[in-house]
Amino acid sequence: MAEIVAAMAMTHSPGLTGWFDRAPKDYQEQALRAMGEMRERLARARPDLVVVFSNDHLLNWPINNTPEYTVGIAGEHVGPAEWYDEWLGLKEYRIPGHPALARYIVNEGARRRLAFSYLRQMQFDDGVSVPMHYLNPSGSIPLVPVTMNCTVPPIPTPERAYQVGTALREMLKAYPGHERIAILATGGLSHEPGGPRYFWVDEEFDLWFLDLLKKGDHQALLRECTLERMEEAGSGGTAELIAWVLALAFTKGPAEVLAYMPALAWRSGTGMVVWPHLA
Amino acid sequence: MGNVDRCDKTLPTNEMMFHVRRDAKLRARWLTDLEGIAREFGLSREEYEALRDKDVRRLHDIGVHQYYVPQILRLFYGAAANTNNHPALEAYKRAYPDEAARSLRLQEELEKRRG
Repeated sequence: MAEIVAAMAMTHSPGLTGWFDRAPKDYQEQALRAMGEMRERLARARPDLVVVFSNDHLLNWPINNTPEYTVGIAGEHVGPAEWYDEWLGLKEYRIPGHPALARYIVNEGARRRLAFSYLRQMQFDDGVSVPMHYLNPSGSIPLVPVTMNCTVPPIPTPERAYQVGTALREMLKAYPGHERIAILATGGLSHEPGGPRYFWVDEEFDLWFLDLLKKGDHQALLRECTLERMEEAGSGGTAELIAWVLALAFTKGPAEVLAYMPALAWRSGTGMVVWPHLA
Repeated sequence: MGNVDRCDKTLPTNEMMFHVRRDAKLRARWLTDLEGIAREFGLSREEYEALRDKDVRRLHDIGVHQYYVPQILRLFYGAAANTNNHPALEAYKRAYPDEAARSLRLQEELEKRRG
């Protein structure tokens, strides 16, 4: 049986690579320190692969058909997608996939009545590219990307994400292999990409959300942090935190918040979190 | 619900943008033949004019998905160094002066707090 060996989460804002140096020096230092810490802990967990929960920003799926969840099943993942390299300031990178486990998620999900779409060649924008740049820079840890739709209505609720996360945890632990699996969620915190509040960061919401993670009471978080509350804190962007809720289902107890920056320059509440205890 | 609920999922501009971002040939025509691309994807005159005028508020009002609006602007102005002073972001400040002013005040408050 496979084993879950790490669970962590971080913001994936394009500013973290595309215009990193425009944020205040102390934010840059905090972010680098926190991501360095995540990279070390990830290495220490000796994962055979990392399952990354992120979201599709209308890149892989057109607006007339946006599946709730999608798995990238490629043998090798190549990013960033055409036209995004300049925006992200990133060169081409290649990371091996884990097709057997990726295809298992799709098929085992179906048996459990969960619809996972899949892509033989997934394209990558900031959602996967930014965290991989910092946490898996040499591409030595194989990647299974699982994206969700949290930008095109109807946006799934956090409760739904927790339910899917719980099913994913059971499925991955039941995977017939001895893989050591790390879980990484990317997205959030408060931001409203392309909306009227494009420049806004809701620090109060972010600190409140991180505090809920620090308390580690999952039911309380799901009760209080509704989709409506996420949307109030920045529409079409803050709900990327649904990826963190998926990861939450792999953990128990309090999260450790490594850093938080209300980084207007990166146009996103920016945070890094690790869960020391796994469910 | 939030601003993202204002998008019209059936608006031709929203379909067009998916393809433009993946197709270098379409992107190469963006600055010289936007009208031709708009015709090929069945955009209304109103959609075409909002695009041509880089009119952020109108693009939102007619139901362009908010995520596509900055990408539309980057097609006009370039994607590199997309900081808050990039022309695409300046277009947002013009479209939403109240929100921009509020952000500026927050920026000042954060700077003061950090010392």
